[in-house]
Amino acid sequence: MADGRPLSAGDVHRAYAAFRRTAAAQLRHPQSALGTLLVAFFLILALFGRQLAPYPNPNDQSHDVRVAPTLDLGALHLGEHPFGTDRLGRDVYSRVILGAGSIFRIAGLGTLISVILGSALGLFMGYQGGWVDEVIGRVIDALLAIPALLLALVLIGIIRNLDFAAGSWQAALADNVILLVISVLYIPVVARVARSTTLDIKTREFVEAAEIRGESQFYIIFREILPSVIPSLVVEASLRFSYAIFLVASLGFLGFGARPPSPDWGLMVNENRGGFYQLTPWALEFPALAIAVLVIAVNLMSDGIRRAVQKGA
Amino acid sequence: MSKNRSTSANELSRREFLNVFAAGAAAAVGTVSLSGLSGIASAQDGALRIAWLTPATLDPRSASGESEIAILNALYDYLIETDAAANLVPRLASSWEVSDDGLVYTLQIRDDASFHDGSPVTVDDVLWTINWHIESESTVASLLTSVESVAAAGANAIAFTLSESNPDFLYNLTDNKFVILQAGAEDIGTAFNGSGPFLLEEMLPGDRAIMRANADYWGGAPSINQLEFIFFDDQQAGIAAVQGGSVDGILRLDNSSFLGFAGDMSFNTSDIPTSGHHLTRLRSDRAPGNDVRVRQAFKLATDRDAIWERVQLGFGAVGKDSPIGPAFGQFFLADAEVPARDPEAAAALLAEAGYPDGLDMTLHTLRSGSFPDLAQAIAAQWEEAGIRVEVQLEDENTWWSTDDWLEVDLAVAGWGARPVPQLFLDLAYHSEAPWNESQYSNARVDELIEIARASLDQDERTAAYKEIQQILLDEGPVVVPYFFAQFMVLSGSVSGVELQPFAGRTNFNNAVVG
Repeated sequence: MADGRPLSAGDVHRAYAAFRRTAAAQLRHPQSALGTLLVAFFLILALFGRQLAPYPNPNDQSHDVRVAPTLDLGALHLGEHPFGTDRLGRDVYSRVILGAGSIFRIAGLGTLISVILGSALGLFMGYQGGWVDEVIGRVIDALLAIPALLLALVLIGIIRNLDFAAGSWQAALADNVILLVISVLYIPVVARVARSTTLDIKTREFVEAAEIRGESQFYIIFREILPSVIPSLVVEASLRFSYAIFLVASLGFLGFGARPPSPDWGLMVNENRGGFYQLTPWALEFPALAIAVLVIAVNLMSDGIRRAVQKGA
Repeated sequence: MSKNRSTSANELSRREFLNVFAAGAAAAVGTVSLSGLSGIASAQDGALRIAWLTPATLDPRSASGESEIAILNALYDYLIETDAAANLVPRLASSWEVSDDGLVYTLQIRDDASFHDGSPVTVDDVLWTINWHIESESTVASLLTSVESVAAAGANAIAFTLSESNPDFLYNLTDNKFVILQAGAEDIGTAFNGSGPFLLEEMLPGDRAIMRANADYWGGAPSINQLEFIFFDDQQAGIAAVQGGSVDGILRLDNSSFLGFAGDMSFNTSDIPTSGHHLTRLRSDRAPGNDVRVRQAFKLATDRDAIWERVQLGFGAVGKDSPIGPAFGQFFLADAEVPARDPEAAAALLAEAGYPDGLDMTLHTLRSGSFPDLAQAIAAQWEEAGIRVEVQLEDENTWWSTDDWLEVDLAVAGWGARPVPQLFLDLAYHSEAPWNESQYSNARVDELIEIARASLDQDERTAAYKEIQQILLDEGPVVVPYFFAQFMVLSGSVSGVELQPFAGRTNFNNAVVG
């Protein structure tokens, strides 16, 4: 806890009640439950991909090239290469499983960074008000005015072409440019949501009471206001996550994301379009399907979370 | 490190060299646009419609793309051509002879050729064209730097006097830009009074060029009445048009698209190996590549056949770690024994050279065409020998515009097809070559390159080329896994077109439709 006070029984109870409410709401809506299950499924693939993939090396080319998928849904039979092999003789099934890890790592971590920094910024702006809010607000507006993908490509173009000494923090930053891009794109969005909720909360009596008690600004923002902002942040976070997945896949597709031979889904779609789409359509279709299913699943899940939060509010 | 990327022989940039002559290697893909199809007439008897990428310029000084050269080739005549086996073939020059000292080349100019306006083609026109190039300092002029003088030799002959012998001189005259213009020609690039087999009827920039058969062509009127070049902004759109039947053929497509056509009986497909190739090169002037055992480890870790099958789908030809391939016929060291892949032996060589834990390197390659596939395929093979590479994709624009491509330790590079092997060696394998990316320096190779450059004894040149290939295979800085193919897809009703290694030089004079 922000002020060092230990968790009280009330805190635990409140958190548990919120979780139960959310879970119950998810179950009441089958599509949300399905979405949540699918996200959980992909999360398991992301965490245990190396154990689950038949061929854990994504660039394993020891197979025949261009083998058609052996998956037989009717007979529930996977076969040697369920999703076939690609032009270089790599098992598409393994690569799709391994690709879950990279998309969760980048989109998930990027979302986490955006939500933490964005909500801190939004809370500060909303509570502070005045010229601070005004100045940061205009900067955020300016950033939000630029189309997301365009801004992403510009940032990547600039950062990748800078020359950094190997091993320096700038070089590390350039290596993780996609994380940086997600953060730059989504911190303003999250900040705006956090700010508007904060503006509403800060006029409540319990905040005024804390001010009269002479609590520090830090205490008021994080101990009094933040708990009330969290529900809308959770909804925003799940939305941002689905956008981040789409962004990572798009950048991979455009060739600005992961580098070959990474099993990045967007990159796989890109590599197998054009002439190869006619020869090995499965090498494009399965990663494309994975992107589509994951994005839809996260959206269904976030719908459920939004409903639960609105009910609870 | 020389920053000079031009050479006395040729002032193409490295990028242009790759792009322009690269055959069958590009996979420029994008959204299928049907804009180029608007208003295409239905197939008429005796009309042949070919898909090309949209040309940017038709000025012979700067034209270089396949579609640009294809138009020049239809409207104008070259002095000499090369065939698919890199033999010289007469065109406006009906015959030629070389003096015993190899310094004077005398070409007979046909007396039955005439421009589209009816005036005959004379030696004066040829001389005027040469002077025009020299005055405008074009790349054709740079091909003629060894020419001391050029003058008429009788009514229908022209004599080139060289300052030093150059056994490949006649190949310089076959250059893609070297079409013969009429003396005093104006509006070059927009008006086309050539002597070629076709006359320009209508040029619709960005859409198509409509050409009519030249009934008075010295080689006989073309067998088709009309030749239409339909322009597309990207290759996939052209391919889609061929599949849909709105054009009759395409001469530039990627391997995978070609394989799709090759299994379809309703199309006539042909493919020929070219001398264009991809390679990996390792800087050999500093560690780790300065140790011959390291270079040999890279070679031993590579299965060229497997890479050829995977990346080029088995089209073209397998390489033997030198730029001289089967397309060069007698010069190719066909019986060279390439050591079988042996990752353990490669790892042992690395350990001997002081790298018992293998090597971690960055493999730079271009983002376009089949470069990324080559990099991934070779990375997987090398990994088993302990050579762990991280593939770094580079954008063509930035890659060639800085000196990074010359600087980095390990890179994949590409070379377009050429009719003679000397240019590759002069540009990239001689220790003082301007594009010697690997900084390879071998006194014997230098000596052999110089012999091949000047010797008039064909056997001596052949022996030199073969020895160079053996040295490069044994200890050179490059792995050449394959030579790529040039493709052509024609609708099943079209025949009589003989594909050339540079697709833009393919002649349609004898095409038969229907």
